[in-house]
Amino acid sequence: MYVYAILGDAPTAPLGHGLAGEPLTLLRAADLVAAVGAMDEPPAASREAVLGHDAVVRRLSDVSAAILPTRFGMVDDASALTEWLRAAADVLGDALRLVAGREQMTLHVFDGDEPPAVDAVERTDDAGAESASGPGTRYLALRRRQRRREESVPELAPLRGRLDALVVAERTERRATPPFRATVYHLIERGRSADYRAAVDAGHALVRGVRLRVSGPWAPYAFAPEPLS
Amino acid sequence: MSRPPAVSEAILDENDTSLLDLVDNVLTKGVVIDGEIMLGLAGVDLVYLRLSAILCAADRITKHLR
Repeated sequence: MYVYAILGDAPTAPLGHGLAGEPLTLLRAADLVAAVGAMDEPPAASREAVLGHDAVVRRLSDVSAAILPTRFGMVDDASALTEWLRAAADVLGDALRLVAGREQMTLHVFDGDEPPAVDAVERTDDAGAESASGPGTRYLALRRRQRRREESVPELAPLRGRLDALVVAERTERRATPPFRATVYHLIERGRSADYRAAVDAGHALVRGVRLRVSGPWAPYAFAPEPLS
Repeated sequence: MSRPPAVSEAILDENDTSLLDLVDNVLTKGVVIDGEIMLGLAGVDLVYLRLSAILCAADRITKHLR
């Protein structure tokens, strides 16, 4: 069966159909509900299939307060899925509580036409690395700098004050290929996407050296737990 | 002097829901189920990585070249 999402509760509204036109059904295990469709193999990854997967997830999101979308192509048999749900119940439960009543906005950060703003975080770490005495200390300083570069987007500092009241959780991915600099995923309360866009628009002029692009709202794809082993 | 926008930027500057976001969310985020089968996805992930999230889906590119 093809798995579309993990839900906190069983929706009472009709679930509709899946990617292949199959009726959606619910598989319950350990206080969790998986929205699934009868499919032995996932469909080939095409634009239509990707759009279709997201359309099903959006429909499920409309009828479920807490939803964790699954990645495209998740197929498993019922017994294995049930066993996995039971094993992952704690992690999935925590994630469902985080996303309940919330949705994802995505903020793409691109290089701008102006010279990039000085990266204060990196500059501070560089100074620490240069003054480190031993190779071990220098290595740790380098790792710290890499990790902070991955996790922080100092370019957005002027926006933080406007977004703090809206953002419940944040995940960041740094991009290595110009003009893409970073993608920041924000979890906000459902129905606040217009406020989020307005906050970004209002603060955009304060952000120097980068261009921003907002998309959303999305189901909280980026707030799914890391793959479980 | 301002540099001309790259093709990828021109694509991504569009206001509609972009393929970037779809690819990013649907193919690289979301719950990964242990024991899952992901037939037909290996190539997509590879393309995604090679293009650095850029997302040059053929239909998107050709649309802009028309």
